Amino acid sequence: MIRQTLNADNGGKPSKPGGKPSEPAPWLLDLQSIDLSGEDKPRLAQVSLRIHPGERVALVGPSGAGKSSLIAVANGLIQPDGGSVSWFGTPHPRGRHRHRQRRQRRRQQARIGTLWQDLRLVEQLSVQQNLNTARLAHWGWGKGLLNLLTPLETQACSAVLRHLDLDPALLPQPVSALSGGQRQRVALARLLRQEPLVVLADEPLAHLDPRLTEKLLALLLDYAQAPRALLMSLHRPDLLPGFDRVVGLRAGQLVFDRPASQVGREQLEALYASGL
Amino acid sequence: MPRPAPPLWLLLPAVVLVPVGWMLPQLIHGGGLNLIGQFALAALQPSLNPVVLHSVLTGLGTTVAMALLGWSCSLVFGVALGIASSRTVWRTCIGRAAPAVLIRRLLALPRSIHELLWGLALLQLVGLEPIVAVVAIAIPFAALVARVLSDLIDAQPVANLKALCNGGAPAGIALLTALGPPLMPQLLSYSGYRLECALRSATLLGVFGLGGLGTELRLTLQSLNFPELWSGLWVLLAAMVALEGLVGWLRRRWSMPQRFNLRVAAQGYRSQEVLAVTAALIPLVLLVAHVLQLNPALLLHWQALPDLGEAHWRELAALPWMGLIANTLLLTLVAASLAVGGAPCLLLVVAPWPLGRLGLRGLWLLGRLWPPPLTALLLLFVLKPGILTAALALAFHNLGILGRLLLECVESADLAAEHALLGLGVGPRLALFYGRFSSLSRTYLAYGAYRADVILRESVVVGLVGASGLGSQLLEALSSFAWNELLALVVVYAGLTLLGEDLSDRARHQLLETPDGDGHTQEVGGAWG
Repeated sequence: MIRQTLNADNGGKPSKPGGKPSEPAPWLLDLQSIDLSGEDKPRLAQVSLRIHPGERVALVGPSGAGKSSLIAVANGLIQPDGGSVSWFGTPHPRGRHRHRQRRQRRRQQARIGTLWQDLRLVEQLSVQQNLNTARLAHWGWGKGLLNLLTPLETQACSAVLRHLDLDPALLPQPVSALSGGQRQRVALARLLRQEPLVVLADEPLAHLDPRLTEKLLALLLDYAQAPRALLMSLHRPDLLPGFDRVVGLRAGQLVFDRPASQVGREQLEALYASGL
Repeated sequence: MPRPAPPLWLLLPAVVLVPVGWMLPQLIHGGGLNLIGQFALAALQPSLNPVVLHSVLTGLGTTVAMALLGWSCSLVFGVALGIASSRTVWRTCIGRAAPAVLIRRLLALPRSIHELLWGLALLQLVGLEPIVAVVAIAIPFAALVARVLSDLIDAQPVANLKALCNGGAPAGIALLTALGPPLMPQLLSYSGYRLECALRSATLLGVFGLGGLGTELRLTLQSLNFPELWSGLWVLLAAMVALEGLVGWLRRRWSMPQRFNLRVAAQGYRSQEVLAVTAALIPLVLLVAHVLQLNPALLLHWQALPDLGEAHWRELAALPWMGLIANTLLLTLVAASLAVGGAPCLLLVVAPWPLGRLGLRGLWLLGRLWPPPLTALLLLFVLKPGILTAALALAFHNLGILGRLLLECVESADLAAEHALLGLGVGPRLALFYGRFSSLSRTYLAYGAYRADVILRESVVVGLVGASGLGSQLLEALSSFAWNELLALVVVYAGLTLLGEDLSDRARHQLLETPDGDGHTQEVGGAWG
């Protein structure tokens, strides 16, 4: 349902954001022994995590446990001090041809979508221009400049807005003029417009009312069916049953990684109590 | 009708590169290409002759002394006049703002005339004395400080002030208590910026014969002695870097606002240290004045002006006024567009490379320190004289100033949106363009509007390139002692500058007022001068 909506401009075909056929990968995201230093203590220490197609993984832990850092490492925004990050079954590009590696890395990043806690929309641009930023990695400068001059791909932008119960009449509005709930959904619409294989979400439900929380979570869980996957940080134990796995982080260290059905109240209380 | 979005606004002025690129090949005469090569090579082989170095260092000492004295005088008079031209001050004292409006209008005249014009006019009247350069800097700078300070005072919220007045506090004490603490960091930050400007102006005045390092630079350039020229340039570069570094360090240490956002509230720390530095400046300034043998009494002894016959007035009426004004405006427009649009374009090109950014910083530093008339003279080695040559010289200088401000603004801007774009796999240039350029476009262009107004005032300094409007005519009138023509040209220049200032003010207010969520408007930028 979502895929059909998203690919309205592509004749309903799934897009290949990296320019290569999306062959089934043994895993979509592989973090091995990640170390990340902080000011006085490590933000991440020897964290390993592998996510396979179709997996919906919840990341839990007290504030300051390293959840946001792990997500930033997973999407390539932060380079870890130690360990390795691999995407889509291929090791992280290393070696001499730095320019080609950077291009390859960016192509891979274009297939990873992140929903940030602070949304990170470009406040000065319209809703439509913000939605189209999700396509910038494929468009380059020509279409990127045109996007700032004239409305582009209105049909596809309208489709994602409608899917999130937003009026397409919002497209020309500046995002700074939207309400909090509308902005949240525009950020989600940008993510959907990107059509990523891996969705990383950093506490996206933190400031939402119960109705919107339920709808947004349902959308993300529905989207993350194979060949896609989801890694979401959250603080709500009542929402964990919708996930396949739960990963517990505390003080930058992996405390547990087990199926959601095996995570009980005791483990969560122990995880959060130690964080105080 | 397509309406460009904010980040695109930054690049729009650079459209001028198209006609400039088309016209430039027609201007090249190529006669001095080898000289340009020699000039570039000499950068690596500056003269280390002790006599040259002594002369350069003496020149630098004179320039720094003139800058320091001009700057300190401008601060003393500027602060007094700024308070006197503040609406808030007059409203608090007498309940009406009319005197403030009158004083502001009167101050527009000294502000609209470039320090070079003050310098050259005083040179003719008083003769070659160090006091000439000091006063030439002090007059327009004091008027500028007054304007910025009165704007800053009038932009302060007055709730505290009203509460103090209602409590029975005398007006003076109430003003000092309510407005002093928030204004001090802004005023100190702006003062530091004006000191950097004073050093540039003192060098420029030297180029036109008022002494100091500028005179040395011009003489060595005209005699094509490039190694000696570079000895002076490297020394000036070191002085400029040291001053900018010191001012930046103090700004950070005392938690002062950045120049780009002067109106942003800043706490300001280490008040005792600030007081100690201010107190130490007083004996330093007096000592420098003594060493420079500054004699203010000389200003009262004017040399007699030559008598003017009727023929002079007929010549004045016959001047092609419309052409001169049009050329001046065209020169300003091209120079401002090149400088305002060039800085973001260059930054985008080098953005991903740390070495490229370092090189760009170096280029902009060179642009700031290198006086525009010397750039113009250098360009004449390869280009024919004219408006475009003059515009290129002015643009290079202002590119240095705008580029540095843009870089400061880019480095302090919020990275969140840009990080989100990088996370989407967007390239670093496009992410910078959509991310940080979006958020700073209004503030930067507002500063660009102010800079265009400054460029109009500065267009006189490249008048020596010839055929570049009022500036060329003015320098010609000065050298031929045609006082009536000079007076008429200064009046037209001042009128044009005031008109430009008004237009730039309107553009700036338009750019800095942004709609908030409730449809109201709010000002987001700062005050400059």
